[in-house]
Order: sequence, then C-alpha cells, then structure tokens
Amino acid sequence: MSELRFEHVSLQYGSLRAVDDVSLTVPSGQVVGLVGESGSGKSSLAATAVGLVPPTSGQVLVDGADIQRMRPRERGLQMVFQDPYSSLDPRMSIGESIAEAMPRGTGKRAEVARLLELVNLDPSRAGSLPARLSGGQRQRVALARALAGRPKVIIADEITSALDVSVQGAVLNLVRDLQRQLGLSMLFISHNLAVVRYVSDRIAVMKDGKLVEEGTAEQVLESPQHSYTRELLAAAPSRHTSLWEDAS
Amino acid sequence: MRVPPTLRTPVGLASGILLALLAILAVFAPILWGSQADAIDTDALLQGSSAEHLLGTDALGRDIYYRVLVATRLTLGLALLATIVGVLTGLVLGSLPSVLPRWAGRLVTSAVNIAVAFPGLLLALFFAVIFGTGTVGAVLAIAFAITPSFARLTQTLTASVSGRDFIAAARVCGVGRFRLLVRHVLPNIAEPLVINATLAAGSALTAFAGLSFLGIGVQAPSYDWGRLLGEGLNRIYLSPAPALGPAVAVVLAGLAFNLFGEAAASAAGRRQVARQRPEPASTVESASGEGLLTVRNLRVSFPGAQGWVTPVRGVSFTVGQGEMIGVVGESGSGKSLTALAVSRLVERPGVVTADRLEFAGKPLSKTTQRELGTSLAMVFQDPMTSFNPTRRIGRQLAEVSEVHQGMSRKAAFERVVDRLRAVRIPSAERRAKQYPHEFSGGMRQRAMIAMGLMGEPRLVIADEPTTALDVTVQREVLRLLARVREERSAAVLLISHDITVVAQTCDRVLVMYAGRVVEELPTAELFTSARHPYTTALLAAVPDLETDRDAPLAVIPGRPPEPGEIGAGCPFAPRCPVADERCRTEEPELKVIGDRHEVACWQEELVGGVR
Repeated sequence: MSELRFEHVSLQYGSLRAVDDVSLTVPSGQVVGLVGESGSGKSSLAATAVGLVPPTSGQVLVDGADIQRMRPRERGLQMVFQDPYSSLDPRMSIGESIAEAMPRGTGKRAEVARLLELVNLDPSRAGSLPARLSGGQRQRVALARALAGRPKVIIADEITSALDVSVQGAVLNLVRDLQRQLGLSMLFISHNLAVVRYVSDRIAVMKDGKLVEEGTAEQVLESPQHSYTRELLAAAPSRHTSLWEDAS
Repeated sequence: MRVPPTLRTPVGLASGILLALLAILAVFAPILWGSQADAIDTDALLQGSSAEHLLGTDALGRDIYYRVLVATRLTLGLALLATIVGVLTGLVLGSLPSVLPRWAGRLVTSAVNIAVAFPGLLLALFFAVIFGTGTVGAVLAIAFAITPSFARLTQTLTASVSGRDFIAAARVCGVGRFRLLVRHVLPNIAEPLVINATLAAGSALTAFAGLSFLGIGVQAPSYDWGRLLGEGLNRIYLSPAPALGPAVAVVLAGLAFNLFGEAAASAAGRRQVARQRPEPASTVESASGEGLLTVRNLRVSFPGAQGWVTPVRGVSFTVGQGEMIGVVGESGSGKSLTALAVSRLVERPGVVTADRLEFAGKPLSKTTQRELGTSLAMVFQDPMTSFNPTRRIGRQLAEVSEVHQGMSRKAAFERVVDRLRAVRIPSAERRAKQYPHEFSGGMRQRAMIAMGLMGEPRLVIADEPTTALDVTVQREVLRLLARVREERSAAVLLISHDITVVAQTCDRVLVMYAGRVVEELPTAELFTSARHPYTTALLAAVPDLETDRDAPLAVIPGRPPEPGEIGAGCPFAPRCPVADERCRTEEPELKVIGDRHEVACWQEELVGGVR
C-alpha cells in the first residue's frame, strides 16, 4: 500500500515542454485514470514516474521518497506498456521474462507459476516464446512481469489500445480484479474515456503538458469543470448520441 | 530431417557444399599430402602443367597442386582468425556505448565513425606496416580493417533494438546495463551479425591473399594461396597453371563465403513462394448492377508457408448510391483486405477472385485506371505514411487532377485550394504550400480526404480513418465524411474496429469475422435486433460511458482464428456460447431474416437483441 506523488514535475525535450508543472497524487490502493490526446504528455509523465527519464524539474515520490535517489528495484514501481508485441523480448521465454523482474532470492519457478496462474494463463506455458501467444495473452504476461517485481505502484500506459475489442474486456477485468485483490495503487493512462471511466476511482485530464482537471471519477464525468474535459466527453463515441449532437 | 532454410536455395546449397569441401580439405589435406607438398625435386624445377604435376612445380621442384591443397588450412585458418578477431573487437567497440557513461560512449562512437571513413584495404596496409610483415601482422591488420564496419553495424542494430519497449521494461525492472546488453540486445541482433560475419570472412580471405601476394602476409617457408599466387605470377606467360591454380582457389573460396552469406541473408528475410495459385477462373462478371458497388463471393488469397491462405473467404455486399456502410471486425477479420480488393490495391502475390465485382455498373477489372482514380477515393489509417514526406501537400493533391483529369498546373492548384477549403482547412492557400510534417494528424487526414475529393468520387473507402486520431479530432473527421456524402451524394465505405463509431455514422453495418460477413443489418437495429452471437458479444464487450462500473465487462473467450486455422464448421463456434454439433461441422451461409437484415448463424433464433 503506497502512494505515488508527482510534485511540480516538468519535462523539457529541447524546445518542447512535454510535461508542464504537473502535480498529481495516486492515493494508496486507488486507480487514477489519466486521459488526454496523443502528445498531451501522458506517456512522458509515465516515463518520469518509472525513472526512464529524469524530470527536468520537480520530484516523483513514492511514499514520500524521491525515486531519483533510489535504485530501480527499490522504487517499487512497475510499468505495463502499450504494445505487447514489442514489450516482451522475442528471444526470451515468457517464464524468463517474468523471472527477470523478480527480487533476488525468490523461488523463481514456483513464483512464475503462481503469477501466470494469477493472470489466468496456464503455468505450463512458462517455456513458450512470446511469438506463440496472442496479443491478449502477451499483455497478461506483461502484467505478470510487472507484478513479479512486487510493486507498490503500477503504471499502465495505454495497455488495451493495441488489443482487439473482444480481448480488451478480459484484460480490463483482470486489471480491476488484480488491483482490488492486491490493493495496488495504479496510474492508468488511456486516451479512451470509456475505458478510463471503467477502471478508475479518480480521473485526471491532461492537455498540452498541463493537468487541466482532476477529481473523483463521478465529479469529472458528471460535472466537468474544464472546457476541454467537456469537449472530450462530448466527442467520445456513444451508442446513444448521433454524430452531430453533443452529449453534454 | 529438416533442411535449414539457407540450404533450400540452389545458391545456398552449392555454396554450402563448397564450404563443407573446403573445411574437409583444410582438416585432411596437410595430413594426406603434407609430405608431397614439401618434397623437393631438383630434377623438376619450375615446370609447367604436366600429367605428373598437374599445376607444375615451383623453384624448388615442389608440386604446386599439392601445395595449393595443403595451403587450404593455413589460408582459411588465418582468414577465419582475422575475421573472429575483427568481429569480436567490432562487437565490443559497437556495444561499449550502451554500457559506458554517455560521454565515454560518444567518444567511442566518434572514433568508430572516423575509422569507418577509411577504405578497408588501406587500413589493412597501414596496420600491416605498423605491425610489421609476417603472419601476426597480417592477421591483426585485416582484423582491424574489418573492425570499424562491424562496430558501426553493431551500434546501429543495438540502437534499433534499444528503442523497443522490452528494453524499457527491463530497465524499469532494474536490469543492469551489462545484463541488458548480453541478455536482451545481443540475442536480438545476432542474426544479421552472423550473416555479416560470413560475408566478412569472404573478404578477409581475399584481402589476406592480397597481402601475401604483395609479400607482406605469410612469409616463407609457410605458404598460403596468396603467396603461391605471387610466386607463380612471375612466370605466368611461360606457364600459367602455377598462378591460375591458387587464383582459382582464392576465387572459389571467396565466392563460397560470400554466396553463403547472401543466401543466409535472403533466407532470414525469406519470402515463401508457393507453387499453385488458386483458380482465378470464376470471374463471371455479368453487368447488371443494382448498386454502385456490387461484390459477390469475393476471395483474397496469399501464398503462405503451408500453401495458400485465404483471409477473405467469399464476401458479398452491395453499396447503394450515396449510402454510408460500416464494416466492423477485429484485426485479421479481412475487412481491410476487402477494401483493398475493391480498390484494386491487392498486390502480387495476392490473388483476388470474385463472382461479381462491379463498380458503377461496370466490372472493376474493365474500369480504367483514370476512371478509378477520379471516381473512387481511398482514405487510409495513417495519413503520415500515405503522403510523400518530401513533397508539398498541394503538389501531391494537384497530381491527381493533372494525371487523371489532364488539368493544367494552375487550374489543378486552384482546385486543391478549393478542396482544402471544402474539408475546412484554415488558410488553405498557405497550407497547400506546406509539407506533410507541418500538418497535425487530424489535418493530414482531412488533406487525405481532400485528395479523394480532387476527382468527383462516387465512392469513398475509408479504412480506419480515425484510429490514429484523438476523440475530438475523430469526430471532426467522421463529420467531414458524413458531409462529403451529403453534399456530393458519394457513397462511403467506413471500415473500423470500433462498433460504436460505425453505429454513430453509418446506415448499415457489415460485421465481419474470419474472412466472412456474418451479419448485415441497418445500424438503427444494431442495438436492438442483432442476431449473430458475435455481433451481440462485440456490442456487450465494448465499454462506453454508460457501462455499469460495478459489474465485470462481458468478454468473448478465446481469440479469432488465423486464416490457416479455419476448419469446416462456423469459425466462431469455439468461442460461441450457443454453438452445437452442427455449428462445429457445417459453416452457415448468410440468410435473410428481416428487412435488409442477413445473418450467418444456425442458432440465430436463440439470440435476442442486446439490451
């Protein structure tokens, strides 16, 4: 049970300010959904959270400790990536990939089997290469690998957008079950408002590198404050509205 | 026994056999003929080719034929040694930048870049002078001549692999730099490295022969092919055989290495060629069109590893004048291929067959390119890759009218500006002079639609036009398509994986699964009277802003079949909650069950509409 906190995080790439003074808290055991357009800085924020890119200014804290001062294994942060076809090493069996993320001195074989079981995959497939798995199965393996690091916080970056709709539902259900079962804190990034709404307790909206709105899922969806949030809600395809009317 | 793919081609087989022979010679020749090769015969000095001495003799009367055979070991051995040293050094230099701190890595990279600029042989000669004449000097010289290009190759390949997510994932897990390199990077770049090492061995062999020939390689009393060639060359006008023998050996061995490398390279990026093409016979295109686009029993096949696969298996539908039709399906359902086949964009080796494939009352095969170019517009998923990045948007759009309508440059440009305005691109005149990268994603997609409007399209095929776009932009593009249809009464075929998008925009929906249309119905009835279990499952599985957050999402177990896996029964049967024995053995055909409503299911009566 831990809390992830961004404190005035900015990230500058050359002349581009990808993340602009973002302060956001993922409370312990809760899911914060982060929505926004492509290029709004969602994934850049995620990259600073797991230490792939150091923030230009500001801090990322896990339980009050700055992650920049910790070794990767001490941070208790794990990430699941968008494309399950590129996030698993094609030359490594899925069991090895999962075992690699485990802390030293874990009984690896049994733990791999337990994790595969946890994500509803047959443990006997630990020796398979990713090429033998479908997209949805690969994303489960990626989830199992993230769990193998015994994380306190998981960052999920567009984890269903590369999946087919018939598979997406199963992965979302799994994410929700695991999160509740293990009491994980989670930052769930997606451009799909319907998906974010389904998994999140709180919702944050980003635009042009800035955080424009943040609140409980009900607040943000029922009474959006920022005009951009209203625009997003109106534009989300819905079966009950036509193309021409605005939902809100 | 399985034959490795490299040996399946004639070139690969021939060079493979040659390499094996060379290896055998290298091992056994010195044992078998070592004494003959060194036997001095003062009675037969400097002889030409004869029955006794096939390639003649040298200044000490030694038989050159045997000497060439025996020299195989030294020649190949030294060439391989030089290659191994060179490749390993290159590998280390090439992967150092990913392990070292950034500044040190830059230093190594720059050094390698400078070294790459020097020609290999020049480098070899340079090193040969530094290390001194002799075997060791020559090996090092050639090794270091190979090194820079290998280091560069390793760097490039490493960089391309390092950008992939699994490297980032490993870094997040706390995997160290060295382990990252050894466990994740090197195994994924091994294949091209090995192939290039084989090619490098070939050039090392010839380069070594060159050095020995020049007298700065192997020194007497040792001898390799290059040295034998050098010795024989002095009297080539008197007796050619002593020079030609080793020359042929060098050429053969060099060729064997190079061709084997080439064969391995093409096997690695192999394209399977199946022999039998499917029969394109049944193209009974009788012109009796009722709609704008009539498709009957459309099939698209591609050659695969185990014979032909058919991702589109008998698709039939009609698009009426000014109608907006949606095609939904998951990846691999054949929806995009159907669109490509309709626009005649399926390229060889793909084969398209159909009972009827008519556009505007005419068989598509008889429609001229010009007619197709002006009356059918295609909008693709990724507008970034469908524009040429080096040409201005305006020029690319104008080309359509210049080529297909014979317009002058000026008239075409005016039309471009007009059409860009029509798709609501602000300051169209200025925008037309910009390059694709200066447009945002939504803007590019609008330009793509404008390109389709350069002619007078009667049908716009849009293949996932909004998948790469954000919801707000998606809505604009969809509205634009709807407007095009209204203002120009063009028909639109909208292909999407998102059933909600289709439901919002289209008049009718075609649901595709495993290469077939499984249900066709008016969108107004989609949520109330869909009858195919796949359609209803799809509708239930997609969350929208009204989905119950406390209940688990409906899921469809299993996954769609690959085109090669489709058996006799209904392809959805393994995932279907209501499938019975008949479903597993017999594939249902589309049958009419209501007004403009067709479904291909044996159990349709069991399935009610969702919600």
